Amino acid sequence: MAGVAGLGAALGALARYGTTRWVQTIYGNHWPLATLLINWLGCALLGLLTGWQVARLWLVLLGTGALGGFTTYSTFSHEVVMLLDQRRFVAAAGYLFLSVGGGLLLAAGGLWLGWQLV
Amino acid sequence: MTIISIIFFAFIGGSSRYLLGQLVPVGTGFPWMTLVINLTGSGVLAWLSHAKRLTANWPTALTVGLGVGGCGAFTTFSTFGVETVRLITAQKWGLASGYVLATLLGGACCSAAGVWIARRWGTFRLEEQ
Repeated sequence: MAGVAGLGAALGALARYGTTRWVQTIYGNHWPLATLLINWLGCALLGLLTGWQVARLWLVLLGTGALGGFTTYSTFSHEVVMLLDQRRFVAAAGYLFLSVGGGLLLAAGGLWLGWQLV
Repeated sequence: MTIISIIFFAFIGGSSRYLLGQLVPVGTGFPWMTLVINLTGSGVLAWLSHAKRLTANWPTALTVGLGVGGCGAFTTFSTFGVETVRLITAQKWGLASGYVLATLLGGACCSAAGVWIARRWGTFRLEEQ
């Protein structure tokens, strides 16, 4: 099962790498929009998978693996600290509140939708 | 080469996160393991991103693989989000708010510590470059 999670995480991380580069070519990298969108999408989809109560293999491959690997906490935290380091306090606070507030709302929405599908 | 490196390190990061998660019984208690994983990964990524003196001679594929793949896939935001919502729906308000605060403050402290340690001992001084 650890290999299944690892396989999913490899796919998720590649998707994150591609998405980040794509968003940064369009938007630039003056504010971490790419990580925000990635974490939002991941929260919604993991909520959906969890609520839907998919089989354990799928939950490990797609949930723990792919979505866990797609979303990232380390980059989020580093970006917050870098914005604070540049004394961009409003940008840092906005990023933090949008990430956590939006992530929790989307995870709740995903869970609710999943429960409807069971 | 960068792609292969990301796949390799993300595989290690993701399977480690799974194995560590298996160590702690899943329940509606405090999600200790995700917290520990996210804080450790935040510290390591921040350090790695700034320890330029150490990583200057490493191939780009290695630093990007370790950072984007390894730390990125080891840590997770989606599990943090879903775990918090589950604590809220179980009406464990104290645990939920404690988890969010510990993750945010702890993550910021670990990232800042990683940056500080790297800047203190791991970067080039400007005049040395």
